[in-house]
Amino acid sequence: MTETISITRRLIVTVLVLELLSAISLIVVVAFHERHVQLKAFDASLFATAEMLAGAVQDAEDEADNVMLDLREVQIGKDAAFRVEDERGRLLGSNGEPPDFEVSASGAPVFRNVDVRGRAYRFLVLHRLRIVDPGKPDGGVRHPITIVYGTPVAHVWHEVLEAIRFYAIATAILLGVTAALMIWLLRKGLSPVYELAYEAERINSSDWRFDAPASAKRTVELQPLALALEAALARLQRSFEQQRRFTSDAAHELKTDVAIVKSSLQLLSMRKRTIEEYIRGLTLSLGDFTRLESTVQKMLTLARLEQRTENGSLGAVSHSCSLRDAVEDSVNQIKAFAELKVIDVQIESTVEARVPIDSRDAFLLCSNILLNAVQHSPDGSAVRITMNADEQTVWLTVKDWGEGISEQDRRHLFEPFYRGDPSRSRKSGGTGLGLSICRAVCERAGGTIEIADNTPSGVVVIVTLPAAGLGCGSGLSASLEAQKL
Amino acid sequence: MRVLLIEDEHRLAENIVAALRETGLAVDHASDGEAGSHLAEQRVYDAIVLDLMLPGKSGQCVLQDLRRKKLHTPVLILTAQEGKESVVNLLNAGADDYLGKPFDLGELLARIKALIRRAKGVATPILAVSDLELNTVQQSVRRRGRSLDLSPTEYRILEYLIHRPRAVVSQQELLEHLYDFEWEHHSNVIEAHISNLRRKLNAAGSEPLIETLRHRGYRLREPAATP
Repeated sequence: MTETISITRRLIVTVLVLELLSAISLIVVVAFHERHVQLKAFDASLFATAEMLAGAVQDAEDEADNVMLDLREVQIGKDAAFRVEDERGRLLGSNGEPPDFEVSASGAPVFRNVDVRGRAYRFLVLHRLRIVDPGKPDGGVRHPITIVYGTPVAHVWHEVLEAIRFYAIATAILLGVTAALMIWLLRKGLSPVYELAYEAERINSSDWRFDAPASAKRTVELQPLALALEAALARLQRSFEQQRRFTSDAAHELKTDVAIVKSSLQLLSMRKRTIEEYIRGLTLSLGDFTRLESTVQKMLTLARLEQRTENGSLGAVSHSCSLRDAVEDSVNQIKAFAELKVIDVQIESTVEARVPIDSRDAFLLCSNILLNAVQHSPDGSAVRITMNADEQTVWLTVKDWGEGISEQDRRHLFEPFYRGDPSRSRKSGGTGLGLSICRAVCERAGGTIEIADNTPSGVVVIVTLPAAGLGCGSGLSASLEAQKL
Repeated sequence: MRVLLIEDEHRLAENIVAALRETGLAVDHASDGEAGSHLAEQRVYDAIVLDLMLPGKSGQCVLQDLRRKKLHTPVLILTAQEGKESVVNLLNAGADDYLGKPFDLGELLARIKALIRRAKGVATPILAVSDLELNTVQQSVRRRGRSLDLSPTEYRILEYLIHRPRAVVSQQELLEHLYDFEWEHHSNVIEAHISNLRRKLNAAGSEPLIETLRHRGYRLREPAATP
């Protein structure tokens, strides 16, 4: 089985990874910034304490106008190390073990990072001038003082780590909340998908109805899918219904025909009969059987015409024939029946035109249309046939002046077994497949068949067919037929 | 016994009518629902054979109308439709039996006869009154063990009378149940048949079985054995 993919999971993981990455970058930036800020504050604090130390250098009030360090007012951390010297190197005061630093030439304050007994320290070397008795006429005694002051930097790193820890915890909480929120939102957002799936789940071979849930139709992303599903299923249902109706109608038709044949023979064998009775019974049975055979034959013809090739198209038509020949043949065939009903069947106009239909099917098409026309014409009326053609198209129209067809019937006329009567009365003798066969023949050739009202009564059947490869095409088929002859 | 066949497929109807007549039943045929309904309401039938798919009024409608009008004639449905559901619906709508097309003609006849028998309150095909025994399947009659040679009409009259023991059956009723409605009805035809039947029955046994009630009709005598 292939691995399943969850869009929700992917989305959540993507968002969380992005969030994590941005949090890490944020923490890195924050760490650098915090370190910078903390170091600045550290330096400022070093500076301030060093200045206080400088301020604590007082006049010693002795003969030599020396200075001394008075630490009473100065607060110094216990980890701090310092040393205050005067210009002659005399130590005024110290704490810890501050290392010796070279005095810078400029006298500007200098920061130094040094390890003292394994601890990282940052020192400030500050130079200040202390003037004793500045009010004296000689301007007093000048004492340049050097102050070295340092504290461990561990404190700075502690602060930075604290900041990182704070941001890491905040990020973790944020990730958790984001994940929970996304799961909830996605689940809520995807509910139309589940509703659509649930609705689609209910479709089965006996019930093709599908109404996309309103939630799916409201969702912009799902709307195309929902509508496409609806449309596709409606099409499928129609075609499925058609198939089912055809099967059921075909079964009904065949069962009735078989019932007749069977009952005829069973009636004959009910008791001993005279030769004359047997002959009459067998003749009738043969008639019944011929009718069954014709029904089967028509069903097979329809199946053959509607058979599609593997790629789904209605098979390429490799034959062509003269429509005029087919029309004339079918008129000759119907003549006897038409004379019986005193119906005048006439070809009014005709042209030589070849159509891409097998000659057998063309004859079937023409004779079915003619038979219908004659059957539905009152005795003593007429049937008129016209043929026209241009470069691309061939038209065949058959007019009658019969009772006509209602609008309701006309819509179903080409459906198999439709007889314009819910009971499918078989009195007219047809199986209700004739017009279906006509349509199948026309559609296979890429043409159409329509039925319109004739004035003042009756109908006009209009067959429109593409002309079969005029020029070289017709020449080829004509020469082929010539070869056959 | 008279049967009404409502079937639009004329060849099938022809065959069923012929078969029913050959087994000694009188048959009327209607080729659409309207005509069938009309006949069923106007005349008395012992059974109705009804096709479902009819032009105009459907078989289902005919059946429903019959039952609504309190006509309890047994109805056998002929159908070429698939599906158990429709069968259930039909039986629930008041049909007594059904046969799917294509059916066996013999089975159809047997079922029609069974329906008629049951409607008359008889379950077996052998009817017995007093020392008379009538086999409805073989259409044979025996009295005191001796078989009688009856004409089809005589047999039908006797069968009808046996189906209605102790009841007075008028000549009109006999005509209605024994003949197709196209036939010309003459009560003296019945009289002649009854007379022949009586003669044949009396030749075989002792006491006369068929009573004549002046201006009223005929009656099969109470069994002598009954105290």
